[in-house]
Amino acid sequence: MLISRVWLAELLGDAVDLAPLSDGDLTAALTGLGLEVEGVTRTGAGLETVVVGEIVGVRPHPDADRLRVVDLFDGDAVRQVVCGAPNVPAPGGRVLFARPGTALPGGMVIGARAVRGVDSVGMICSETELDIGPDSSGIVVLADPIAPGTPLPDAIVGVVDTIIELSVTPNRPDALGHVGVARDLAVKLGSLWRPSPVALPEVPDDPGIVRIEAADACGRYFGITFDGASIGPSPLAARVRLHRLGLRPLSNAVDVTNLVLMQWGQPLHVFDRAELGEGRVVVRRARDGESLRTLDARDLSLAAEDLVIADASRPMALAGIMGGDHSGVASTSTTLLLEAAWFHPAGIRRSARRHGMSTDSSHRFERGVDHGDGLQGACAEAAALLQRWCGARPIAMHVAQGDRPGPVTIAFRPARCSMLLGMDVPRPDVERIFRGIGVEADASDPASWRCVAPSHRPELEREVDLIDEVVRHHGLDRLPMQASPPTAEAAGSPPEVRMRQRVTAAIVDALREQGLHEVVSLAFARPASVAATGDDPDSPGVVRLANPMRGEASLLRTHLLPGLLDALALNVARHHRPVTLFECGRVYRNAAHASGSGPTAEIDAALPDEPTRAAVLCGALPAGDPDRAAIDPRRVGAALLHALARVGARATIRVAASPMAWLHPGAQAEVVLDSGVVVGRFGRVHPQQLVAWDLPRGVEAAYGELLLEHVPDLRVPQFAAVPRFPGSSRDLSLDAAIALPVERIVSALIGAETATITSGEDPPRLVPGELGRGAVELVEDYRAQGIAEGRRALLLRMHYGCRTRSVTDTEVQQTHEAIVEAAIVQLRAQDGHLRRR
Amino acid sequence: MSDDETLAGLLHAFVEVELRGALTLDDAYACKVKYLGKKGLLTELSRTLGSLAPEQRRARGQEINEAKAAAELAYEARCAALKAEAEARELGVFEDLTWIPPTPPGTLHPVTRTRRALERVFASMGFDVVDGPHVEWARYNFDDLNIGPDHPARDMADTFFVSPPAGSRWSPGDLVLRTHTSPVQVRTMLTRRPPIRIVALGTVFRRDDDATHSPMFHQIEGLCVDERVSMADLRATLYRFVSAFFERPLEVRFRPSFFPFVEPGAEFDMQCPFCGGKGCSVCKGSGWIELGGAGMVHPAVFEACGIDPERYTGWAFGFGIDRMAMLMHQIHDLRLLFEGDVRFLEQFPC
Repeated sequence: MLISRVWLAELLGDAVDLAPLSDGDLTAALTGLGLEVEGVTRTGAGLETVVVGEIVGVRPHPDADRLRVVDLFDGDAVRQVVCGAPNVPAPGGRVLFARPGTALPGGMVIGARAVRGVDSVGMICSETELDIGPDSSGIVVLADPIAPGTPLPDAIVGVVDTIIELSVTPNRPDALGHVGVARDLAVKLGSLWRPSPVALPEVPDDPGIVRIEAADACGRYFGITFDGASIGPSPLAARVRLHRLGLRPLSNAVDVTNLVLMQWGQPLHVFDRAELGEGRVVVRRARDGESLRTLDARDLSLAAEDLVIADASRPMALAGIMGGDHSGVASTSTTLLLEAAWFHPAGIRRSARRHGMSTDSSHRFERGVDHGDGLQGACAEAAALLQRWCGARPIAMHVAQGDRPGPVTIAFRPARCSMLLGMDVPRPDVERIFRGIGVEADASDPASWRCVAPSHRPELEREVDLIDEVVRHHGLDRLPMQASPPTAEAAGSPPEVRMRQRVTAAIVDALREQGLHEVVSLAFARPASVAATGDDPDSPGVVRLANPMRGEASLLRTHLLPGLLDALALNVARHHRPVTLFECGRVYRNAAHASGSGPTAEIDAALPDEPTRAAVLCGALPAGDPDRAAIDPRRVGAALLHALARVGARATIRVAASPMAWLHPGAQAEVVLDSGVVVGRFGRVHPQQLVAWDLPRGVEAAYGELLLEHVPDLRVPQFAAVPRFPGSSRDLSLDAAIALPVERIVSALIGAETATITSGEDPPRLVPGELGRGAVELVEDYRAQGIAEGRRALLLRMHYGCRTRSVTDTEVQQTHEAIVEAAIVQLRAQDGHLRRR
Repeated sequence: MSDDETLAGLLHAFVEVELRGALTLDDAYACKVKYLGKKGLLTELSRTLGSLAPEQRRARGQEINEAKAAAELAYEARCAALKAEAEARELGVFEDLTWIPPTPPGTLHPVTRTRRALERVFASMGFDVVDGPHVEWARYNFDDLNIGPDHPARDMADTFFVSPPAGSRWSPGDLVLRTHTSPVQVRTMLTRRPPIRIVALGTVFRRDDDATHSPMFHQIEGLCVDERVSMADLRATLYRFVSAFFERPLEVRFRPSFFPFVEPGAEFDMQCPFCGGKGCSVCKGSGWIELGGAGMVHPAVFEACGIDPERYTGWAFGFGIDRMAMLMHQIHDLRLLFEGDVRFLEQFPC
């Protein structure tokens, strides 16, 4: 909403003098009212040297057919100006003359020069050159005989102005016109202001011209008929004002409606009455099959809920939104019907939304315009202007009544106001504020005032709305800082919720400690990326956006891998460094899930499941990369194990029992909790994924993820006795198949220990090694010279100890041999050539 | 060879030849054992004393003991010298410690970092940290927040609607990606009785994508409900928050504004933490930084949540976590946050 300071001052008149206020003061006052100032533009600067000039003589240019040599009196002297405009008036005509030295708004500086051999001083200007209108077809010719030499800013009000762009919140429909802003501003500045009354034309009532058939949708309809109108341009000052307010001057009749719109916030329409069948309008719902071609040449198929302004037979306008293409005035129109109406906001909003239209008119009707004095004031103002500018003679009038909202009565308790604000506002101030904004307050019961909200403030419905008005005008900056004492301690989240927050934070910290960089990706997904991780993008489990922004990202992610691959691709395209990323975030799936407890639980069970995942992606270009370790999938696995250790969870790794199609089939593993639950997985990213993401040849990537819902709660670590007696280690060299996972060998050895040791008091057993090593650890995995194809030499170290005594070499050796033999026998089922080296 | 010569010769051989030739403490010890050990050469001499006449024995014994003592002394001296040499050798080594292979620390995303800092401050102020689902009921996201189906405020949040699962009883329009964290207010008020003091931090979505907007971003929302909670308390709380967060006292001011779920509603600014309100490039010279929206919980919201608006009052506020992160770290382009360039991410190691 653009506001003209000049117009505002004109409206406020003597009630409030804006002159002492700087533009900064004015914007501060508006901001203090909740009318946020988005921009301030000063117009007309430097136009003091543009003056009214009187044409003295016009003669052809000796050397150019299209140019004329004009003698012009600028108040000081007669100047010779060469002018190319087609509309130079005859002597006596008034034009706007830029004296030499004038800097025009476009930046051009006017001087004196010869044009095709004829001296020319200054310039006769068009609207666009002066930025006072959109017309560049010719020079400005003034209609009034203003004295030559009068500076332009004095000749036309509103050339020099401050235009303030307001962002008006939806609760302030009154501020969508200058009248509402003026009323509010007057209160803020300690005064009281009401718009000057304008009388409706005194013409006979003719109920035949307007009928409301949809009383629920149209509360009030003023119709005034005119004849003898002559359609042409508006006065220059009106056109300048419209231009300043960002509207295009069209014709006097249309300009009237636009100016009244900007003044009162009341949308109006002027029909060419000759186009109205039987010369009358009917406010009704659209009928089956009716259509309307709008002013902007769109063909609308109307629905039964659409409200239309029809003539005797067909819709002429979509009520409150836009007129039909033949409903408006044309240059030949002489008989008019002025509409000023109040339509139900929700109906306008639904129609506008249905047809995808948003106009200055619908914007205001949706928010609620004044159905009382404001409507009548706007109608009267428009009627007066039509008479003045178009020479239109009012003939008849009718005010049709539908269902108008009744007056809203609100109880206002000063004590409640003080309590809610934490501040006392003196009673006279409250009364002044209410009076200023038009709230009628009856304070005969001092504890509970009976207030009636004005029709121009439809959103004032409850006591809090009045309290808002009080504090808005009294000043939010006066609010003290005063803590309200709590009546009791507030409840906290259930322990299990807090625990999951702590687990998630610990996992994030742990991954970060592994030298990884946290990334946050958008939660949207393309069908292709959902498919990449093995989900059918069309399956009902995938969560779909009904109105995606771009066609592609129409789904919610089911997986973190695609987002991380996007990040990898972006990095690889920009630089050649290894990329080590992690992300912790939700994925989405339509699936049954736990939904907490309480009154929201039942309905929430129908929402998609949103489990949290923590994922790691490391990738790099291989060429010359010094840090191959960065993309070793075992590093990713180690990060996952570290994260689990951070929450006290013990996990082991095993070859994936149910391999993921999006990981390398031969290089993936599962992370399994002691409880047997698969808590995560990792491996090399399948080469086809890298191709699908258009990564350059040779890029490799390793990926891993934890399913946070399976990560156990943090636990308080429990002390176990520190071994007091030295243990002993034995090494085991094996010739094993590469395909036989170390995890199987270790499990077999540990399993064999349990089976082997049957009796004895405190026999030597496998015990965890020092520094957190396992009881069986891999020391070396050698597979080069001297080792057969497909095989490897493994060196394992096994740690033995007793609880209450030192071990002896002999017993350890015996136990070790027994365990190893038993394990090898068992493992031969998987590797027939397994043997000790 | 006389016994004297033998003794002197042995002592000489020990001190001048063997000990001197010992270059390590182990060598020296081996020498000592060879001469002074149980079967050492000097020790062996003592065994010959038995064959001597008593008067000779005494003198001879004294000679041997003196020689052994001299040998011990020589040994100790040699050891001391060797230790000193070894120490000097050890300390004479120069190790170049001026070049360490970098082990870059991992980093938290600036949004996570800021989010945690916010959580810490509000937790210390007695607020419970909560969150809710991202796919949300339109009812909680709009209706129960006093944003009815025809309310123009629905224009303010350009909403992503979520298609209901096929075959479900929900219709299009029932499910949305939450456009703000405010539905968490509703959820909390539906499930808890006052007094309530919560902050909700989380991801929100709007159909906006340009240099200053991302379709996904992050918000924090605070809610306090109790008997006789005032707007002055809201201002005091926000003052305590910004001052604790930026670790210096910073004024908070309100500007009237409108959000359907609060009344009175306001936008709030804080004094610029970088210049303390004097004016700088961050606050564009104004001394103030716009933070977010706030206000007193609208009675219609209380009613929707089954809380008696006559008995209870409350306030709520909200602002953008991403914006706060950008402010803290002087990040000028929102898009950097969500594209995942490691050269951006690695800049937040602490």
